[in-house]
This record gives sequence, C-alpha cells and structure tokens, in this order.
Amino acid sequence: MGCNLTKSVVIIEDEPYIVEALSFLLEREGLTVSSYSDGAGSVDFIANHSPDLVILDIMLPNVSGMQILEEIRRSQKLSELPVLMLTAKGQKKDQLAAEDAGVSLFMTKPFANDELVANVWELLKR
Amino acid sequence: MARTLVGTRIRENRRARNLNQKQLAAIAGISGSYLNLIEHNRRGIAGKTLLSLARALEIDPRSLSDGSDRALVDRVKKAAFADREIKTELDHAEEFTARYPGFARLIGRLQDRSDRQQQDFAALSDRMKNDPFFAEAIHLMLSTITTIKSTSEILAMKPAVPDNKADRFLSNLLSESERLAKTATDVLKHFEPSSDVQNNSPDNSPFEALLDQNHFFLDALEDESATIAEIIDKLDLNESEAKIARKSFINYQRMARKFPIPSFLPMARELSFDPLRLAHALSSDVPSICFRLAHLPVAQNTPNFGLLQCDGAGAVLYRKQLQTFALPRFGGACALWPVYRSLSIPLQPITAYLDMPTGERLFAFSYSYPTETAQIGMPARTESLMLFTPDYRLFQSPNHAGLPQLPVGVQCAVCPRKDCSARRSPYLLGG
Repeated sequence: MGCNLTKSVVIIEDEPYIVEALSFLLEREGLTVSSYSDGAGSVDFIANHSPDLVILDIMLPNVSGMQILEEIRRSQKLSELPVLMLTAKGQKKDQLAAEDAGVSLFMTKPFANDELVANVWELLKR
Repeated sequence: MARTLVGTRIRENRRARNLNQKQLAAIAGISGSYLNLIEHNRRGIAGKTLLSLARALEIDPRSLSDGSDRALVDRVKKAAFADREIKTELDHAEEFTARYPGFARLIGRLQDRSDRQQQDFAALSDRMKNDPFFAEAIHLMLSTITTIKSTSEILAMKPAVPDNKADRFLSNLLSESERLAKTATDVLKHFEPSSDVQNNSPDNSPFEALLDQNHFFLDALEDESATIAEIIDKLDLNESEAKIARKSFINYQRMARKFPIPSFLPMARELSFDPLRLAHALSSDVPSICFRLAHLPVAQNTPNFGLLQCDGAGAVLYRKQLQTFALPRFGGACALWPVYRSLSIPLQPITAYLDMPTGERLFAFSYSYPTETAQIGMPARTESLMLFTPDYRLFQSPNHAGLPQLPVGVQCAVCPRKDCSARRSPYLLGG
C-alpha cells in the first residue's frame, strides 16, 4: 500500500479517453494516478506501483480484467488491494462472477462521475 | 378418429347442398338408415360407397379420405397447444376441421407463420448474442458513450475546467462522437437484410422480392425479351404464389406496354415528371402515370421515385420504398403524410415538400381516386397514392416555389418530434 500521505490509484483501462477523464477527476481530488492499457503485464505494473486502489476494466486486450482480478487475489502482496471494477457488461451474472472473484466494488459503464469519485473514496477509507 | 372426419364431412357437404338424408341416399344408391349411420360416424366407408357419395355430393373422393385432413387436424391441435391460456374444445378438433375446413386451414396457416417467425426470432436473437462483431460493436459503443458522458460532466463542472484542459476534452468529445456514429452505422450495415432474407420472408411476395433486386425495373418485361411464364419458371414458387405473381407480372407488362420507356421518359423529362401534365398529354389516368414514374430505369438524370398506395383504411396496397425513406409494410405510418390527407379530397392532387426529422427534404405528390361508382347516400370507396423523391432538383419547376413544407416523420415510435399533434404512440428512443 502507499507509504506517503497522498493516496495513489492505478487505472487498468485500454480506452485512452476514459483514462484521461478518470485521471482528471481523481487528480482533482488530490490523488496520484497511473495507468496501464494492456491486460498482459498489468499485475506486474500494479505490484511495482503499490497503489491504494485499482480501477480495473473487464474487457482488456490479451488478458481479461476478471483474470487480472483473480491473479491479484492469489498474490500474497496484492490480495487485500481494493479493486473497483468497471464494465460495459452490466448483466447480473457478470456482477456475480466479479463478486466471486473478489471484487471490492462493481460499476457499469457509462457511470456518473460523482458516483465514481464517491466510490473511490469509500474504498480508500476501508 | 378417421371416421369422425368422413361422416361429419359428408353431413356438412350434404347440408351445404340443401339435401336431406333421404335425397342424398337415393342419389348415392344406399339406404337412408345406412347413410345415417355413416354421418354419425358409426360406419366407415370405402370403395364403391365412397365413390357414390362423392359423386352424389359432387366433390373429389379424396376429400372424403383421411390423408391430408389428418395433417390439418394436427396443425389445429398444435395451435391449441401453443396457447394454453385459451381453453379450446380440443376433443372436437376433428369435427371442427370437418365442419369448417376454411377456418381450420386459416388456423393452420397462422400457426405455421407463428412457428416460422419464432424460428426467425430465435435465430436472430442467437445471432445477436453470439455474433462477435455485434458484441464488440456494443462494447465499443458503450465505451465511447462512457467517454462522452464523463467528459461532458467534466466540462460542465463548477469551477470551470482550465482552458487548456477544456480544449483537450472538447477534442476528445468530438473524436468519440465521430467514433460512436461510425460504430452505429457499422452495426446497422451489419444487420441489413440481404435479398435472400427478403426472399425467404413469408411477408414478402416473390414479385416484390424480384422488383427489389432489380431496382423496380424489370428489363425482361420492358423489352419483352422473356415471357411471364419464363420469368415465373425461374422463380421457385408453389402454385398459389405463381398465380399471384402472374397477376402482378401481367399488371407490370400492361404498364410497360402502355407507357414504353423510349417514348415515356423523354416526355416525362420535358414535362418535369409532373403526373398531371403527363396524364393530360397521354390521355391517361393519374394513378397509372404515377406507377410508371415509380418504375423507371436507374439513371443519373432520372429521379428515383418512391411510391405508396393505400386503401381508405390506410392499409398498404403497394409500396416502393427508398433507402432514405422507409415505408410501413401494413400501416401505422406518420399520419401527416399527404397520402392520408388526400383520402378526404378525392381527385384533388396535393403537392408538398416533406421535411424529415433527419433534415432530408422530399418532394411528394399525392392523389386519391374512387375505385367504384358512388351510389346515392353512399360515397365511393377510395384509394390514395403518394409519389415521392429526394431528387426534386432534377425537375424543379417555378410552380414548386410556393409549395407547403410539411414537417413529417416515419412512425411515431422512432420520431423525435415530441410535440407533434398527430402523435399516436410514445417516442421509444428518447429519454
């Protein structure tokens, strides 16, 4: 977890404009934001950056967000890391699958900015 | 069970011919008591007796056999099983089929159509669930919508976003909007029905399908390089489809012979494709001219006319839609179309520009006409037709300068004109 007072967030998302919008919103809240756009290598990226929260898209190139989540939960170092999952696949079964895999919070796209920011703070307080 | 059909059928046929049992028995050469047993399904018949009764009733002996009606009874029962909410007298299915064979065939046909449509729906639903292109496209659309929504909210924030950031976000909005539009267009193209699908649709006649494939201009009938029989032979039609198609082809051929293109087209250009002037010049009726105008060869300097013909109830009788102007197959179109207004003023043409919600403008000519002679106290039935085209610049005349411009739609459900006084149903695509 982050060892200075500024909380940090890693965004794993392949849509650059969504990353840009999310980065703006979270930096405005005083958070440090890093992003990575490929499913492959994203767990290493997360491990190297030691964020306080991960925002993870389900549909990613090469490795799905679900697989990444499972790998995070299997990792000793990252197993307790809060993960906010974003997805365009809003069916109940997808939410249940994400909950089974250990997601902290599940949001569907498109989302309201203030709701996303509120959920980020909720997870960071935990 | 087989006897139920035969006995009942004999009785129904006898009654239809206003014969009593004694009379029929005498004609058929059997006793009245035997006939009574047969009609009450207590005796089966075959051979000579069957032939005698068929001859006496003047019907095909095969209609008294069990064969094809068994299939019809099964279809009637299938229709009953398909809707368990309605309690049907299933035990009397055979008797119903024998008594009312026409209704039984209608029920059978409606059930067949329902089965086919359910299969088509299941196939389409399956395709949409499993089509990788569609799944990818929907995901892409939701991603672009997410960007647009989130970015728009950022730009609307107070205090306002710094200018350099705002410019960046505006640029993102533009890019994503264009991407969304392209994806939506790709999805529509992906699901555009092919001509094969149209040919297989039970609601699209083979004649309509052939017209559609040939841009509503049949060379073979225009230059008479093929006979109607030859054209029909090439289509895979059953007897009743061939009969209907033959009638449609005959009507087309009559039109082509009455107004051959080599002489009609130059005159049409000279008279600005005006149906009234053409009708006067050719001493013909306006509806025939409108049909000819809707079936012209495709050419750069020839307007592409669509045509809608409806009866007094608004039911569609004939349609030639344009790519940019879809027409309903059965009814329920925009009530503001002049084709419907024309019904109240027979023989008085209406010309107007139609302004579509998409921004497109079409020129429209509408005309209604009686289809029978009026009687005292009873106005004649009328039909109406509307000729329309976006290519009005090819024939614009000074008379068009003051034409009314009517804001219209296609159907209420997909029309964004929320305050329209003619709205019949809600706009399904709006928020």
